[in-house]
Amino acid sequence: MNGWILITGILIPLLGALLLPLFGKLSGKFRNIMALTFVTTAFILAVCALTGVLADKPFSARYVLPLGFSFGFLGDALAVFLAMTASFVSCIIVIYSFGYIHEYENQNEYYMMVCLFVGAMMGLVYSTNLIAIYTFWEISSLCCWRLIGFYREEITIDRANKTFIITVLGALIMLVGFMGIYSQTGTFDLTEMKGAYIPSWCVVLILFGILSKSATIPLHSWLPDAGVAPSPVTSLLHAAVLVKIGVYAYARFFVLTFEINEAFTTIVPVIAAVSALYSAGVAFRENDIKRVLAYSTISQLAFILLGLSCGEKIGIIGGLMYIMAHSVAKGGLFLCAGIVEHNIHTKDIRKMGGLAKTMPLTATAFALCACSIMGIPPFFGFFTKHMVIEGIVSSGNIVLGVLFVLCAVMTVMYLIRLFVKVFFGQQTFSEVKEGTPIMVVSVLILGIISLLLGFFSFLPSHLATMIWGLM
Amino acid sequence: MNYLNYAGEAFLLIPLSAIFLNNICNKRFIEKHFHILTGAVALLQMIAAVFAFYIMDANQMLNFDFSVFGSSKITGIELFDINPVSLVFLFCIGMVAFVSVMISIRTIDVKKGSYVNLLMTLLIGMNGMVMVSDLFSLYVFLDVIGISSFVMIAMFRSRKGLEGSIKYLIISEIASIFILMGLSFISMKTGSLSFKDIGRNLLTNTFELQTILIYAAIILMIAGFSIKAGIVPFHSWLPDAHQSADTSISVLLSGIVIKIAGIYGIYVLTNIFGGIKAYQVSLAGLGIISVVVGALLAACQSHFKRIVAYSSVSQMGYILLGLSTGSTLGIVGAVAHVFSHAAFKSTLFTNAAAIHEQTGTLEIDEMGGLQSRMPVTAFSSTIAFLSTAGIPPFAGFWSKLLIVMALWGSGNQILAGFALCASILTSAYFLRLQKKVFFGKTPEHLSSVTEVTGSIKFAEILLTAVTCIVGVLFPLIIIFLHSRGLI
Repeated sequence: MNGWILITGILIPLLGALLLPLFGKLSGKFRNIMALTFVTTAFILAVCALTGVLADKPFSARYVLPLGFSFGFLGDALAVFLAMTASFVSCIIVIYSFGYIHEYENQNEYYMMVCLFVGAMMGLVYSTNLIAIYTFWEISSLCCWRLIGFYREEITIDRANKTFIITVLGALIMLVGFMGIYSQTGTFDLTEMKGAYIPSWCVVLILFGILSKSATIPLHSWLPDAGVAPSPVTSLLHAAVLVKIGVYAYARFFVLTFEINEAFTTIVPVIAAVSALYSAGVAFRENDIKRVLAYSTISQLAFILLGLSCGEKIGIIGGLMYIMAHSVAKGGLFLCAGIVEHNIHTKDIRKMGGLAKTMPLTATAFALCACSIMGIPPFFGFFTKHMVIEGIVSSGNIVLGVLFVLCAVMTVMYLIRLFVKVFFGQQTFSEVKEGTPIMVVSVLILGIISLLLGFFSFLPSHLATMIWGLM
Repeated sequence: MNYLNYAGEAFLLIPLSAIFLNNICNKRFIEKHFHILTGAVALLQMIAAVFAFYIMDANQMLNFDFSVFGSSKITGIELFDINPVSLVFLFCIGMVAFVSVMISIRTIDVKKGSYVNLLMTLLIGMNGMVMVSDLFSLYVFLDVIGISSFVMIAMFRSRKGLEGSIKYLIISEIASIFILMGLSFISMKTGSLSFKDIGRNLLTNTFELQTILIYAAIILMIAGFSIKAGIVPFHSWLPDAHQSADTSISVLLSGIVIKIAGIYGIYVLTNIFGGIKAYQVSLAGLGIISVVVGALLAACQSHFKRIVAYSSVSQMGYILLGLSTGSTLGIVGAVAHVFSHAAFKSTLFTNAAAIHEQTGTLEIDEMGGLQSRMPVTAFSSTIAFLSTAGIPPFAGFWSKLLIVMALWGSGNQILAGFALCASILTSAYFLRLQKKVFFGKTPEHLSSVTEVTGSIKFAEILLTAVTCIVGVLFPLIIIFLHSRGLI
């Protein structure tokens, strides 16, 4: 029933991406508009799938193949939630790119890869087959390899290769875990193995894949390094698609599908705590605006992972909503950083200062997004962070709860440090102008949405409660 | 069944008649149109393979015996035999030969007549080898392949070519002697060399036959065919031979000759010894060593063709792992990997030809930034690399997955996991290649390089399309194989 909506939602950005270079040969403008159209279509179709979820009849399509392979697509609450968040933020990023990327070479490849990336994300969230999930997982690694290496310089290529090697190695180890599951259940189809108990060594192998993609310690080092990419790309990696793939996979496998050993409700939060504290600490020491934000991402992802892994209802719902809060706010922060970097041609925060006077709108958007990440009420981030910490505390782990509160305080401190250094203080650049209208409008939209979602947090919370109902 | 008879004979008679045609025609005329003649032979071979496959499938036949020139009833005339597996090999032979012709149009300027003769002899050798039904005829065709390969490597009389050729000649003849000894041991013990007589059941089920002589035969024959396939530790000849030959010839060597002379031989051995534990263990051991060492050696080469040649060593290891399971799934995976390897390795050699034609060098340290100047070559090499590294959704991923699933199913979980993770080494050396050749700064002397045109570009696009389409449509192949009860 209605499974074609999901399949179209995957195929339009995937196949459309392959057409974009041809469009680019005709006219750059046409290509840009088509890229936006493909990504927007993915968003609209995700919203269509939402109607199915709300009517309690999720869209699905399933063709069984031999050997436990299958083509299975299911638009349940979790899938639609992620698809909507990812495709919406991607739309804003594509619009922003019109202003940012237009002066560089390789634009055809850029739009193709962004579109392919969104298609891979849609495929990943809708698929119910482990092999299909792995396929889209690797397509996303491929896209980020080309996107991080966008500038084609020695260093960017090295960083892109590093990202590719780490994420692909993680995925291969995860595939070994999938093989382990396959030998237990005889199928790769997730819908058939709901509630199956899987051995701990498989969980550990799959966690390798998840942690490498979600840039959690000890597999995090590629994410700060990926900051050499153009800002819309980093924004895409951090906010919309790439790192969210890992936490999505965690939610899909270990929260919704498999039964795993109780011990993991302690082990994973501990990994998350180490990751959160370490990266928050590093964020204080960094002077590159994008590296500060990257370490902040690693730290915030640990919050999401904590929420999902604590095993309590409120924590899991909080973790899911935090995915949305972080996508919108961190996407906005990176795009603001992009405007700053684009205009003053440096990423070193020691050389910046007083930009609030010359770039008031960007500063406002930055402040709005940062407030959400810091967890200042009434921003969306506050509610979600609160729920995550309440989850871990109610699961009885007071020590971890305290550590994460400490982490939240550190987040406030390093983001304020960043904001003050960049936007207040002595004005070092006098001839700086505000970004182009299209770029400023995109970041303002994300900033305002961060605030509005705080007031209307019952909407995503309703959806997240439905995801809880899937268990 | 008449049609099948024609198709089977065509695999031997078409190249043979092409040799006659090549030598009786006016030399000038042939030099001008050699690509039409050879291209047509390769195309006909692909068509005949597809056609025979279709007929066999429609009649639900698993094999078909025939003989060339005369009745199959006469004793002493050995039968030829085609089956679905040999048809896949025959199709791959046709495909790679076609690519070789496409490249040769641009790279070969002299001795076109000899190229045609040798290519056709090589085709007869390879086609014969996959169609014979006894071990001795296999050996005969194996040497036909060997001899035509030596001459092809040395044909242009460069110093390096002669060196590579002589190295190949010596090592490969040692392999032939090993194989001859091995098959004589088998003959001594069982009294027959026909596949029908010494099939899997005889040697596996009769313990009296499993004497030291048979184990000696196993060792000798595995060693012999491993040398031919370039499996580590018997690989030393392979990079030299593949690097020194003209690219149109290295594509044949790396794309198909090592697979027919080596891997097909091991496939035949699997049908004979497949049930014996020692045989399975030695194949698995050789396979995993090959995968790892081949990839590590590829990572420290600086010549485009050497990297690709060592990559072949590594990929042959995967095929060996598939064969080592002895299960149907493993063999299907191995055969599928033969096909996908033929496609992506030919692509990479075609890229090598394109780069050599346009820049005059294949040393990767002297290149850089070619992506914007040669977009088609850059794109097709990326796809080929992803397929080699087993990244979905390309063809190489599926064949590797089937091999790993078969390994896992046969109880070698750790080996399977290790083989899967070893793919990361493949990614590593190809990322290095991509970075040095296609990204970075363009050196001064390459600033006027443009994209290659004509047949090489055509071959690149065609092979990339094959890799992509087979990869995306592979589930259909799984459905087909399942419906025929193969997996």
